[in-house]
Amino acid sequence: MATRNRTILFRRYRDALKSVRAPVGSSGRALIELSTASLLNPNRSYTPLSTEDPGTSRGTVAVGLPPAWVDVSEEIATNIQRVRGKMAELSKAHAKALMPSFGDGKEDQRQIEALTHEITDLLKKSEKRLQRLSAGGPSEDSNIRKNVQRSLATELQTLSMELRKKQSTYLKRLRQQKEGSDGVDLEMNINGSKSTRDDDDDMDDIGFSEHQMARLKKSEAFTAEREREIQQVVESVSELAQIMKDLSVLVIDQGTIVDRIDYNITNVAASVEDGLKQLQKAERSQKQGGMVMCATILIIMCFVMLVLLVLKEIIF
Amino acid sequence: MVLITVVRDYINRMLHDISGMKVLILDSQTVSVVSVVYSQSELLQKEVFLVELVDSISMSKEPMMHLKAVYFLRPTSENVVLVRRQLNHPRFGEYHLFFSNMLKDTQLHNLADADEHEVVQQVQEFYADFVALDSHHFSLNIPSNHMYTLPAVVDPSGLQHFCDQAIDGIAAIFLALKRRPVIRYSQTSDIAKRIAQEALKLMYQQESGLFDFRRSEVSPLLLILDRRDDPVTPLLNQWTYQAMVHELIGIQDNKVDLRNIGKSSKDHKEVVLSSEQDPFFKANMYENFGDIGMNIKKLVDDFQQIAKSNQNIQTIEDMAKFVDNYPEYKKMHGNVSKHVTLVTEMSRIVEERKLMLVSQTEQDLACNGGQGAAFEAVTNLLNNEHVSDIDRLRLVMLYALRYEKESPVQLMQLFNKLASHSPKYKPGLVQFLLKQAGVDRRTGDLYGNRDLLNYALNMARGLKGVENVYTQHQPLLSQTMESITKGRMRDVDYPYIGNHFQQARPQDVIIFIVGGTTYEEARVVSLQNATNSGIRFILGGSAILNSKRFLRDLEEAQRIIRTSTNVI
Repeated sequence: MATRNRTILFRRYRDALKSVRAPVGSSGRALIELSTASLLNPNRSYTPLSTEDPGTSRGTVAVGLPPAWVDVSEEIATNIQRVRGKMAELSKAHAKALMPSFGDGKEDQRQIEALTHEITDLLKKSEKRLQRLSAGGPSEDSNIRKNVQRSLATELQTLSMELRKKQSTYLKRLRQQKEGSDGVDLEMNINGSKSTRDDDDDMDDIGFSEHQMARLKKSEAFTAEREREIQQVVESVSELAQIMKDLSVLVIDQGTIVDRIDYNITNVAASVEDGLKQLQKAERSQKQGGMVMCATILIIMCFVMLVLLVLKEIIF
Repeated sequence: MVLITVVRDYINRMLHDISGMKVLILDSQTVSVVSVVYSQSELLQKEVFLVELVDSISMSKEPMMHLKAVYFLRPTSENVVLVRRQLNHPRFGEYHLFFSNMLKDTQLHNLADADEHEVVQQVQEFYADFVALDSHHFSLNIPSNHMYTLPAVVDPSGLQHFCDQAIDGIAAIFLALKRRPVIRYSQTSDIAKRIAQEALKLMYQQESGLFDFRRSEVSPLLLILDRRDDPVTPLLNQWTYQAMVHELIGIQDNKVDLRNIGKSSKDHKEVVLSSEQDPFFKANMYENFGDIGMNIKKLVDDFQQIAKSNQNIQTIEDMAKFVDNYPEYKKMHGNVSKHVTLVTEMSRIVEERKLMLVSQTEQDLACNGGQGAAFEAVTNLLNNEHVSDIDRLRLVMLYALRYEKESPVQLMQLFNKLASHSPKYKPGLVQFLLKQAGVDRRTGDLYGNRDLLNYALNMARGLKGVENVYTQHQPLLSQTMESITKGRMRDVDYPYIGNHFQQARPQDVIIFIVGGTTYEEARVVSLQNATNSGIRFILGGSAILNSKRFLRDLEEAQRIIRTSTNVI
């Protein structure tokens, strides 16, 4: 696809015209030309003073600094980055826990639990901060905030879905492993029982019951553990479901009319106009409001009473 | 994928190198260009947090220096004035200007003059000056489309403006595809010749440096046709999904406006019909109405099954699966209800206007012979009080186009009957149409009865019978494409312009119809491309037509000519 860059020619024209303009102009403008000249590096993050009269110089303080809500959005963005890092760690921990090991695996479990908790906490915290981003009143700034909110909400939602998927695959694989190991145990037990059977008949009965007791205990331990795992998963599922429910209000459904740029532009225009009309109506009704009338009447009455009181004092 | 991919690449490049929070400023035409290929969520991913129109943004006063402004405008004089005003009082930290077509030197000069604060970081030309509705179909959305029917003396400046916009769009297509074409045009059309000449001048003389791409392969062919060579296609009622929705309800930039329908639900006031984003639509957009009904029923059944299984949640795993699949479920729900709403509305309109009956006669008029039977059928329908005015007008026009030389008495009878039955009918419209698009003014063989070969083919087709009476019409475009594929396009009918000839078959053909294209023709082009004949066709026009728009353009043109002749 062809493009043509006109920037060089544009800059040449601009410089030529600037040199034509510079000798003409008030001192204020000369000041600006100087400051422009000194700040000509392309990496400046703010522009110099405006050409309005210096009476509005207080506006220059706000110039260049982004509004306060940008800090909130940046905080959420950093949280999202941290979540991503921790999810990578979680994947590694899952993989390690699934590998057959000699140890108990308890500390792997604890690590996984801790990581999952951290991630869910981060997501919940980010989602709460996200709610603060929405502002009242239609204005350009509020549109930007709404859009920033939407994009962060989409990212948070994808992250929570990823977490869900990771957890469910881990759980599935864990279940498979455990059942596998149960089967192996079973086999060993059968073999074991078969071998002891050949030895002694008396010993067999005791051996069987001992083996049975051991197996019972083991399966009890397994059930308890699995129950705990399921409990964990249920908790995180419900937490995540809550997050997703809250986020789904903010996230745009792809492919629908809400995802169209032209629809959003016309909507914004309409809502800004509507908002203006509402404000005007509110202003008018406030002015005509009964409250204002009552307040004025009361104040007048107070004055009248005060005058009467003074008069009473004077006369009597 | 070609057209859509190209525009998306342009937009990606625009936004890619600029870091930080951005605001995108468009004008009323580039909004359409961007909206059909890029979604709001994708813009948000690129950190564009505000989209505004260039005329409304000058009204607001609050400065937002932490944002960088990306302008994407057409290089018109009005836009330059607006940008100048905004550069004088800059609200944003940085300004990046992108124009969708070639800037004149004076415009560049004016912009440089206004940039006192030196906030402009770059000025580029990114040639995305067309609305890519589909991978093989584009439109230029020229508002003054009716200009193409006017002779040059009536409104020379308006006509020049129309031609300029058409040339801009065509130039943008070829710059975006990085090719320089060989140009042919339809012989009987003055405006096609004019556009061909100006395009030639632009591409080979004025900006030959810009258009000088490597010419190792065969050059593509630009064929400029006139809508009036085939006035039948926009007048017919359609029965394939996309064309039918546009004909009965109306599609604008891949959006359908359902607000006029009585009982549409809250979230379907406007819906999107895009083959890129909706796989069901992509599979069904060229199917006829009966098949669509069946496919939608299947879609609804599938959805109901999923809905039922979602209600049947018993274990934790089911719950987890439901939460996982919820976004997809919601999307499917929205999609199904959208298609059901559309088809229901279309069925209602078909029933109300008795379109099955009317369309049968229309197709006979367009495809088969038999003047006597046709006259009788049209008269009956004109007398039928259920038939709406616009349908009566269309029937008489179709009859007149076919049988304009045979039996003028009966033709006059039909005109009179039309005038008496339809109170809002502007008299003389049919005659105006005949004057513009009559048999003497058309290139090509619209009814297949000009030369013996076509006549014989028509007879053969008639004897063979046809699968569906309602979709038997083939637009003239399919014949034209066939003749290009077989290398049989006659120089007499479609001459070359300039000295650039083409001996071999072209591999890419861009067909531009002055006056507008229809979705029926887009369908034919898509089916032709699917046959892998070695030639890739792209279709475009100055607007997208349905019968309402076509008639409106004719009426507007007639009114202008009448007022101008009154003045003279």
